[in-house]
Order: sequence, then C-alpha cells, then structure tokens
Amino acid sequence: MSAAPVTLTEDELRRLKAPARRERLFRIASYFSPLLLLLLWELSSQFNLIDRRFFPAPSAIAGTAWRMTVSLELFQHIGATLRRVGIGYVMGAVPGIVMGLILGLSRPARRVLGPIFAALYPVPKIAILPLILLIFGVGDASKFVVIAIGVFFLMFYNTMGGVMQTPQIYMDVARNAGATRFQTFRRIAFPAALPSIFTGLKLAAGSSYIIIAAAEFLGARSGVGFFIWASWQTFAVSRMFVGIVVISVMGYLTILALEALERRFVPWAKH
Amino acid sequence: MATVQEAVRPAAMQQAQPAIEVSHLTKAFYDSEGDRVTLAVSDVSFSVARGEFVCIVGPSGCGKTTVLRILAGLEEKLSGTVKLHSATPPAMVFQEASVLPWLTVSENIAFPLSLKGVSRARQDARVRDMLALTGLAEFATARPHQLSGGMKQRVSVARALVDDREILLMDEPFGALDEQTRLVLQQELLRIWETTGKTVVFITHSVDEALTLADRVLVMSPRPGTLISNLTVPFERPRDVVEMRRDKRFWDMTYEVWRLLASPARA
Ligand SMILES: Nc1ncnc2c1ncn2[C@@H]1O[C@H](COP(=O)(O)OP(=O)(O)O)[C@@H](O)[C@H]1O
Ligand SMILES: [Mg+2]
Repeated sequence: MSAAPVTLTEDELRRLKAPARRERLFRIASYFSPLLLLLLWELSSQFNLIDRRFFPAPSAIAGTAWRMTVSLELFQHIGATLRRVGIGYVMGAVPGIVMGLILGLSRPARRVLGPIFAALYPVPKIAILPLILLIFGVGDASKFVVIAIGVFFLMFYNTMGGVMQTPQIYMDVARNAGATRFQTFRRIAFPAALPSIFTGLKLAAGSSYIIIAAAEFLGARSGVGFFIWASWQTFAVSRMFVGIVVISVMGYLTILALEALERRFVPWAKH
Repeated sequence: MATVQEAVRPAAMQQAQPAIEVSHLTKAFYDSEGDRVTLAVSDVSFSVARGEFVCIVGPSGCGKTTVLRILAGLEEKLSGTVKLHSATPPAMVFQEASVLPWLTVSENIAFPLSLKGVSRARQDARVRDMLALTGLAEFATARPHQLSGGMKQRVSVARALVDDREILLMDEPFGALDEQTRLVLQQELLRIWETTGKTVVFITHSVDEALTLADRVLVMSPRPGTLISNLTVPFERPRDVVEMRRDKRFWDMTYEVWRLLASPARA
C-alpha cells in the first residue's frame, strides 16, 4: 500500500507481502481444484479407463441435464422437493426453537421434559419413515412430518444449548432493568441464542435433504429423490447423476442463503 | 425484590431518612457438590444518606459484589435486614462487561426504557441526553464490539442513568481500565453525580479511587467480609481528580486506609 513507511526497502516490502500473495494464489487454486477432478473424470470416461455404464462422462451428464431443463421436466421435481422441505422445515423449526427457548430458560421444565426429548432424539428419523407413511399416507403430509421431526430435534437442542450458554450477566442486566419473564425471553434469551439457532438451521437444512431423498425413494411419485430412484430402476445412469447433482446444489444453495441471513441478523457474531 | 425493598416511605418523611439501611447482613453460599459452605459476608451494617456518595473498598473476594447484588435484589440475603427508601429500584453498573452485544450503543442505553413502554420520542430524547452526558454522541449507532473497554463502561453507566432512578450501585465499574481512562471517567462521574444528586454506592478495590470519589469510605476485611472502618473524606466539592492529589490529607488518608487493609487485626 502507498501508506507503507518510506523506510522499508523494496525487498522488505516484497517479503512483508509474500504471505498475502501466497494466500491469494491458494484461493484461486481452490476454485479450480474441483474442476480438475471433473476434467480427470471426463478424460477417464472418454478413454474408457472407468466403466461408462456407471460413470458417464460429465459432458454426457451435462447434455442430459440440458435436455431435461429445456423440457422443464426437472423443475417439476425440484418444485415438489422444495415444497416438502420448505414446509416440513418450518413445521419443525418453529416449535423446536420455542421449546428450546423454554427449556433453556426454565430449569424445572428442563428437568421434567428434558428426558422425554433425550429418549426420542436417538431414534433414526429414516427408521420411523415406514411408520409415518402408515399413519400419514404416501402423500406429502408424511414427508412434511418426517422432515419436521428431524428438524425439530436439531433446532431444539441447538436453541436450548444457546440459551443455557447465555452469560448470567445478561440475565442480571435484564432483571435490574425491570424486565418481565417474557421480555427476558424475547430481548435476551432469543438474541443470545441466535448464533446457536443459526448453527441449528444450517445443520437442519443439510439433514432435511438427506431425509427427503430417502422419503422420496420410498413413497413418492415426484421429487428429486423419486427421480433418482426411478432413474436407477430404469438404469438411466446419466439421469441419476443429474438428480444427484441437483439435490446437492439445492442443499448447497440453502446453506448459502442461511449464511446470508445469519450475516444479516447476527452481525455481532464472528463469522 | 420484595424482600429487599421492605418499605417505601411517604415523600414527607424521606428527607430525614437515609436512602439505604443495612443491618447485620450475612450471606453464605452453599456448594452442594463439595458440601461446603462459604461465608461471604458477615454481620455488615451501614447506612447511606440521601444524595451521599459512599465507596466500599476491600480485597478481592471479600464480598463487595455480594453486598451490592443483595442491595440490587439480584441475590437473596441469608439474614439481617436491608431497607431501601426509594421510589425506584436501584440501578446497577456491573463489574464485568455487561453491554448487550446484539444492540447498538443507543439501543443498549434505551434498554430499560424500552421495557416499560416509554414512547419512542421520549426514549430518543433521554438517550440523546445520556449520549451527551457520557461523551458517546459519535458512537450512537456503533456496535459494542467496535468500542474500547472505556467506551463500553460509559455505555453501562449511561444505561444505569437513563431511567433516572434514585439509587445508583456501581461495582468496580472502572476496574478493568487503564489509569488515564479511569481518571477521565472518575471526573465525569463526579460531574454527573453533582448534577443529578443521586445516592451512589460505589465499589472498588482501589484506595485511591475511593478517596477520589467518596464522601465516606467503608473498609471491608478479607472474607468473610465485614466492615472494619468507616472514614469520612473531607475534600470539598466540586473536586478535581488530578488537583486533589496535591492535598497532603489525600496521602495521609491513603496511608491510613492501606494500614487498615494490610492488617485488619490492628483496626
Ligand atoms: N454465586 C456464588 N456461589 C458461590 N460462591 C460465591 C458466589 N458468589 C460469590 N461467591 C463467593 O463469595 C465470596 C465473595 O465474593 P464477591 O462478593 O464476588 O467478592 P468481591 O466482589 O469482593 O471480590 C468469594 O469467596 C466468592 O467465591
Ligand atoms: Mg466483585
């Protein structure tokens, strides 16, 4: 920078800036390394080094994806999956956050109700999918419910943990300022737990896509999970890969969106 | 809170009465895991007149914070009586950083008002006054993590002053600050106190700070803390925190308090 003191020699400046320059090179390289993997895959497939029936060339997959995009076939599946994940996510997250705040703030509630959640939490959500299909049918309701259950527990535990880690001093400030219980809840416990809540939201988003993929494999006539499964059954491997890429990108974009929200709503936390 | 503010007297009687009366206050903590009882405060009695500035000095761990938290109603006493004769609950400035990180400087200062349904216009006006009073006007929209330690303590002081309570409890508010910043804030605190006429109980482990600020200094012994001395500080008001160090009496009193602190048994 021009602000550098004039007493530094060219060589000193060069050495001073070397680590930053190296860091920039690494960052650029980091963008390209995944592409290198794709390139390797493409070449291996073109030269028949890997079995093309299982690993069609990325260019072939891209071609399939393009045709499916043009025919709008993909969007119907993406829409179905997004709707299920979105509704199930909200159905799980809102009660999860509220229960987490309540149990985090109230020791009696935590002591009495905590063990119930602790007993239910370890049940794998996918293991109860058949039960949920039995109760709620093969329609969308069962998908909402299974996602909501998975999201609920992650939000509940992350929120409760966040509230319980609230420094006592903030509670004392609220009390000295004359806060009611509800005001303490809304003005102190909630913002103090917000960083943990966002950690939970990101974890829950990841797990929602795992659950919806499994749920759509088993009992659905639409959705990206269904599409992957149906492609497998007809041995349309290229299409299957398109499905895998699409659901991964959906998960990735969801996390990016949540991170943007986090920067917006938790500006005081270090990111 | 009800246990602490046992009586709020009619206005006519207030003039003659002290603002704070503490008698035979004792507090112990019980640690159930180690089955151990810690006697933190033992048989403390004192009173503070309306509008008086009292400092409590004592070694760390002697129960100063505990006494103040009991006065603020944040801690239950074990025995003794605590009477606050004031229409409003006491405002507290805490020892550790207590600025809420998710609020801006202005929002932090407005916090007590915002809980009581005070109108936005009234809140804004009060906050503007407090910002000016504490020299924070330029930092109104700053976030706490952008502030220095001294700035954060100013915010805590402003927040304690904003809803104009009669009693101000301050727990080593400048303890973590460098000497220069501390002198500046002491001078400002004196100026604010002189204009508002609040009753102040100010805790410090610094003899120097106590003599600089107080009308009266209460000296506590090491744990279990009890009062070992009650000294009247003679310097006239308004005080200049630097100039008053030219007064020989300042150093005589410093010596006297140090002698008490160094060997409580001699007192
Ligand atoms: N919540 C608590 N639980 C157990 N012991 C405590 C608690 N608060 C304070 N103490 C103990 O009481 C004594 C006095 O503490 P404190 O009032 O904070 O001292 P000071 O403010 O004078 O440094 C210390 O020995 C401390 O360990
Ligand atoms: Mg203390």
